[in-house]
Amino acid sequence: MSDSTAALSTGRAIALALLAWFVPSAGHFALRHPRRAAVFAVVIAVALLTGATLEGNLYRPVAGQPLTALATVGAMGMGAPYFVLRLALAYEGDPTAAGYEYGTAFLLSAGLMNLLLVLDVWDLARRHRT
Amino acid sequence: MSHFGLMVLYAGLLGAFFAVLWRRERRAQVKLFLQIFLGLVGGAVALGWLMYLLPSGPAAPIP
Repeated sequence: MSDSTAALSTGRAIALALLAWFVPSAGHFALRHPRRAAVFAVVIAVALLTGATLEGNLYRPVAGQPLTALATVGAMGMGAPYFVLRLALAYEGDPTAAGYEYGTAFLLSAGLMNLLLVLDVWDLARRHRT
Repeated sequence: MSHFGLMVLYAGLLGAFFAVLWRRERRAQVKLFLQIFLGLVGGAVALGWLMYLLPSGPAAPIP
């Protein structure tokens, strides 16, 4: 799985991409890019914690508002933390909170950044880049 | 944290993320980080001053 090895099989690349989605930065750890993985983990964790502290919106689909489905896909990009916040902690955000809009930006960005990491892990696993 | 502080934090996070994602060499990473960070913060401050020159209009109603 290191840089010196050949491209991984499609199945293993898919498994790594799923791991990268579910646990932010785990894909880079698995591909033995620990420094980069550490930076990504810190960035996404800080974005998540800041967004949740500010009571930002953790998107969910709302009937009659199709863009919320798109935003939900973006927010769900953060993987397991989305479900922990939504299901285990019953997090919803507070539209009356002073930092609601900022918090929403942080939470959505955390999801979108992790989706980019999934693509990066896929490229690394398939040796499309080093 | 103030709005400005949150904006700086956001710019710093995005700068660090994309610098590490898109660049491999340390020097190139630092350069891209500074470009993104200063672009976001400087752009927001510049836009804020440009808006300062525009008429403010009536005060927003207090809910």
